[in-house]
Amino acid sequence: MARYGMALDYKNCINCKACEVACKEENGVLLGADKHRIWVGVNEVEGEWPNLDIISNTFLPSQCQQCESAPCQEVCPTHATYYDENHVVRVDSDKCILCSYCMNACPYDARYVDDRTMTVDKCTFCSDTRLARGETTTACQNTCPTKVRTFGDLDDPNSEISILLKTREHFSLKTHLGTKPKLFYLT
Amino acid sequence: MSIKEFITSIPVNKVGVKDLLNFEKSPRNLLVAGLTLLFLAFFVIGVGNYLIHGHEAYGVTRQHPWGLLIAVYIFFVVSSTGMCIVGSLGDVFGFKDYEAISKRAIFTSIVTILAGFAVIAFEIGHPVRMMIYNVLTPGLTSAIWWMGTLYGLYLTFMIIEFVFLLKHDMKKAKVFGLIGLLVGLAAHSNLGGVFGFLNSRTISNGVFYPTYFILTAFITGIYIAFIIMGFRYKLDFPEKIRVMLVNLAKIQGLLLSILIFFETWKMLTGVYGGMPGRADVVKEIVSSWPFWAEVLFGMVIPLVIILKSMGKNVIGMYWGSFIGMIGIFFMRYDLVHDTQLKPLQMMKTREYMLPPEWVHYFPSATEIMISLGGLGIAILLYYIGTKLFELDADEH
Amino acid sequence: MEVEISRRRFLQGSVAMTVVGGTVGATSLLSAGHEGEHKAVPGIPSTVTTKTSTGKAEEIPFLCGICVNKCAGFARVEDGIVTKLNPNPYFPKSRNMLCPRGNAGIQTTYDPDRLKYPMIRIGERGEGKFKRVSWDEAYDAILNGTDRFKGLKQILEEEKDNRATIGYCNGEGLSKEGFETLVGQKLGSPNYVDEVSICLETAGGGFFATLGVYPEIDFEHTDYFIILGANRAEAIITPDTQDMFKQTKRRGIKKTICIDPRFTNTAAKSDKWLPVNPGTDLAYVLAMTYVAFKENLHNEAFMKKFGVGYEEYKQHILSHKYTPEWAEPICGIKAKEIYTMAREFMDAEAPVIYPGRRSVFSPNDYQLRRAMGIFQAMSGNIDKKGGYIYGNPIMLKPEYVNAPIYAQAEGRFDTEGIAFPTLKSGSWIVFRNMVLEGKNPYPVRAMLMRKHNPMMSVPNSAKTAQFLKKMDLNVMIDILPSDTAMYADVILPEASYLERTSPVKSYGFLEPAIVQRRAAIKPLYETKEPEVIYKELAEKLAKPLFEISKKYDKDLQAEITKRGEEKVFEEDGWNLADAWEKPVHEANQEAIESQFGKKAWEILNEKGVYYPHIEEYHKQLNPNEYQYYPKSKRFYSTMGDNKKVICKYDHLATKGIDTMPTWHDEWKFSVPEGKFRLITGRHAQFTQSGTTNNAMLRDLIPTNYLWINKRVAKKMGIEFGDKVEVKSEVGKVELLAYPTEKIAPNQTFMLHGFGSHSEGLELSYGNGANDATIIKDDIEPTFGAAVMHSTNVEIRRV
Repeated sequence: MARYGMALDYKNCINCKACEVACKEENGVLLGADKHRIWVGVNEVEGEWPNLDIISNTFLPSQCQQCESAPCQEVCPTHATYYDENHVVRVDSDKCILCSYCMNACPYDARYVDDRTMTVDKCTFCSDTRLARGETTTACQNTCPTKVRTFGDLDDPNSEISILLKTREHFSLKTHLGTKPKLFYLT
Repeated sequence: MSIKEFITSIPVNKVGVKDLLNFEKSPRNLLVAGLTLLFLAFFVIGVGNYLIHGHEAYGVTRQHPWGLLIAVYIFFVVSSTGMCIVGSLGDVFGFKDYEAISKRAIFTSIVTILAGFAVIAFEIGHPVRMMIYNVLTPGLTSAIWWMGTLYGLYLTFMIIEFVFLLKHDMKKAKVFGLIGLLVGLAAHSNLGGVFGFLNSRTISNGVFYPTYFILTAFITGIYIAFIIMGFRYKLDFPEKIRVMLVNLAKIQGLLLSILIFFETWKMLTGVYGGMPGRADVVKEIVSSWPFWAEVLFGMVIPLVIILKSMGKNVIGMYWGSFIGMIGIFFMRYDLVHDTQLKPLQMMKTREYMLPPEWVHYFPSATEIMISLGGLGIAILLYYIGTKLFELDADEH
Repeated sequence: MEVEISRRRFLQGSVAMTVVGGTVGATSLLSAGHEGEHKAVPGIPSTVTTKTSTGKAEEIPFLCGICVNKCAGFARVEDGIVTKLNPNPYFPKSRNMLCPRGNAGIQTTYDPDRLKYPMIRIGERGEGKFKRVSWDEAYDAILNGTDRFKGLKQILEEEKDNRATIGYCNGEGLSKEGFETLVGQKLGSPNYVDEVSICLETAGGGFFATLGVYPEIDFEHTDYFIILGANRAEAIITPDTQDMFKQTKRRGIKKTICIDPRFTNTAAKSDKWLPVNPGTDLAYVLAMTYVAFKENLHNEAFMKKFGVGYEEYKQHILSHKYTPEWAEPICGIKAKEIYTMAREFMDAEAPVIYPGRRSVFSPNDYQLRRAMGIFQAMSGNIDKKGGYIYGNPIMLKPEYVNAPIYAQAEGRFDTEGIAFPTLKSGSWIVFRNMVLEGKNPYPVRAMLMRKHNPMMSVPNSAKTAQFLKKMDLNVMIDILPSDTAMYADVILPEASYLERTSPVKSYGFLEPAIVQRRAAIKPLYETKEPEVIYKELAEKLAKPLFEISKKYDKDLQAEITKRGEEKVFEEDGWNLADAWEKPVHEANQEAIESQFGKKAWEILNEKGVYYPHIEEYHKQLNPNEYQYYPKSKRFYSTMGDNKKVICKYDHLATKGIDTMPTWHDEWKFSVPEGKFRLITGRHAQFTQSGTTNNAMLRDLIPTNYLWINKRVAKKMGIEFGDKVEVKSEVGKVELLAYPTEKIAPNQTFMLHGFGSHSEGLELSYGNGANDATIIKDDIEPTFGAAVMHSTNVEIRRV
């Protein structure tokens, strides 16, 4: 029906981790530093005090890129990883056998093991929580203090995200791998 | 002939538990028996630990989801495919010199793949689910699906071929042997393809693994051939066998040389250009000891033994094969570990942590126990097989 | 008593968990024995995080109570359990967001370590040995004491009704005024210490004295921005944080300069970061002022019109020769940079030097804020778009409290070393230290405490412990067993902010609004809402304490003779509980309906927010942003010609404070060889000491680390994660080391709020280090506020 993606105005990000907490609260994700669906990455600042390179310390929020040509979907032996009707990459935890092939195939480190079901889990764009209730924002988008994220339908030319992508320059991560990610970083 | 008649007419020795305990109690045999029992005990303990604690009993992490058990599984299926190739030389391709080992080799290939399945059953999170959904909703683009399915078929064909060998039906054995071999090669190169298809891991991506797997399978098969023949004849080889082994050694020499050649170029082309994700990983691999264990034990030492005597030193090759198998194990472990060496996400996700560098992994006790247990299972099954079946070649 | 769920079971991750409203999990191949033991408790989720369901849910408007910002949200309540906290898009101040702490409020409310029932002390103070009692028994213990501690009745009897023998402290919150009413006005104690003297009293005071306001900032139209000593990316203040960082990186704000000794996350978002020596910011501001005056860059006409003592100030700055060259060795910022900044600032259309809002760096803080206010005014950018905003806050009619007059109550005494002691909330350090040193003119024998944790927030916690031990009666009202609660005699458990309805409050200058929080769930366990506690305690204490006053208070005796006891008791406020006759929700309704009308109350009750014309003004602009007030209706300029910029404040001289910001060399920054200057600060995931037991937030930062320069660490052989001891002249602590280039070689930093000694807090106990243990209790001379950055420490590996 739709084709969901997300635009990130990452320069707004202050690395407060409100998005990480909101995601865990909304989706009941387990605690644990390696059990996150979304995260904010930062590199170690370069230089020696007092000459520090500000740009090296840029904050980059990231999560599953919901690729159009998802390697995780290609490599799943039981079709547990599939595209739902909105082209969100989902994991059917009834079918997942935890072979972990998708965890190795994902170039973005987006997947982890949910200890409760012993299956692979990842960001679902809040498909079974907020979107299922008819809301139009994801938990991470809604809570962000500086409104970094804009989630929306890429197929709708009038949606906020489509307008943003048509009027602002953007880049995506690891596009040379041909995954066609649907997360766009607005510059 | 009905199926029942078919099965009951397979030549099998009547063997009870007492017969199993009836072997020559030489120090060598006692050592092997003792180790096997120890490994089986490990297996039980390891599996018990896994059933209680789940995947937490293993040392695998989000960044390193494939651990020792995957490496050991690959080790066993490589051995299996290798034995299949060695076995096929005689009964499929008709090379007379190698007919002596065919039956034994095919049986060993069955035994090793069963051991491999025993190990992987406790690595896959939901093995029963796998059997259901691999059939109901197969992922046809998945190398693991093809590998799993093809290995299942391969096992079936190996068993059928072995049955026909037991019944001395060489014609049918050849047919199933050929099919089994082709399916086995397909399965095995798909296993290589599991790594070769990964576009997220540039160190593994590409043509190398699918092809190198077949090469190393053959090499592994020859090592194991030496070991099982050495055990069978207690290093006192009849002439026919000796000739076969010398020929195998010469083939091995060629294969090892090719392997060294491939590996060298793999490492060289990896470093060239400084491509991130490849060059730095290659440098890291080359500076770590498991890689040199693999090279030294798996390739160099056996090659030296072969070259020194131009293949004639079969006793030396027998011992060299043990060394070689250790090297092969490291080859499998390196393969799995190196693929995951470089973190996919190089940024810090928390303030108070060191920036990610290389992914560290060490197998947990449970993984080691299950792995050794797999070896124990393989030895036990082989031993039972030597009692149950007539594995020597028929004298024409 | 209900079964409590062990926190360890939450964190194990291998527990068989039922997830509220969602799919049922748990498929480890064998289920282990210990998992099956815990029973689900009604009203308490059985897992740390709950997944929201698509079923029926209520959305109750609440105000987050974890920090001072009171962000508005909607609590999603499913089957009586709060499963998610979502932002409320109607509140201008919070701009439709909840920060990580706001989201994690669920884990605070359902914290297994919550104080669940009243307790009285049966061990030694600080030991943490308590016994559970009923509310009546607890109130009775406060009045009559036990064999372990004295009650108010005995104390007041012995002190002849001198109400000043009762001291009280309270932390910021929507029920703070209620506690002040109870102990200050109703019980008659003048000895109140709250958080302002360990926080923003000096900064606020400096700006108030200079500009008459502690301003908001209109970031949307700012084009040049200097932020010094404020870390808005990690010390979130709404709406500044949200507005600011949408404009940095050369979008609306052409240049952002961050001046901070430490490379904070705010520095990472700036265009330029300049490290400054701690406590020497004043020299930098004076130098910028000098350049502006010397090169005539400032808005002379504006200053002539609105400045008071402007000419003297100009003369003062120029004659003192506060040149950038003079400032460079003192503050560590290059002279060239100072010249550039001063010129660019004055040249910009809408420059802002950020006021800041935090505890005191050094004794010169008051003058620093004055100098900053004057410097900003010199650009003319106050009371207008893109500058300092005075705005038009909505004034709610104050509640009238019928307070009895206590003739026997003596006055505050905590004035030593302070030029202008504040009557209301004094100085924590001076109050405490004077009592410890015996300098108080009358005994202070009781501390009634609420929502405050001086053991972790007031410098020199050894002295705080001594102080608390000295009291005859300590009462604590709180939601968690904090370090300070360990020193209490009677603990009264309060309902957390998700469990109570609070009095309405007005926030905002530029886009003002009134907000109300409603209880999302009923108070858990046996906790009670603060206003209920005040009322019940007041009821319990009213008559018995009235008897004591009757004995000693001559004025009261005269009144009784005149009008009779009944009348005096009811009419003169001696009926202490009369301030809480109506429940909070009713009182709110009455107040709002009378001031704004019935419709306003309907909106406020449903949406949690009200301001005049809200229905007309409030619009959604895009999926993320809302318009609260149209630009034409925002209160950019409200002062007209009533602005004043007090450059020379003569009144200060009466108490020996400089009337104009002046540099004194005693404020120069120096650290003895081999030692480090300790500086304090925040991370966005924690609020002071109140959140370190929150399972979700601890997941983000498990412990506090000591920042130490990488090269220095290498020389000392310290690596990441090594345990180090930090020692100052007042105490020592141990924590793990974090080598980083983000801090200067002669300085060190640790996150505030860790290192709890309270065994009742499973996650906080023994975790990290408490900086209050090692910070010296220096004060700044104007208000006696605590100086935080004057402590030098030694570090060594252990």
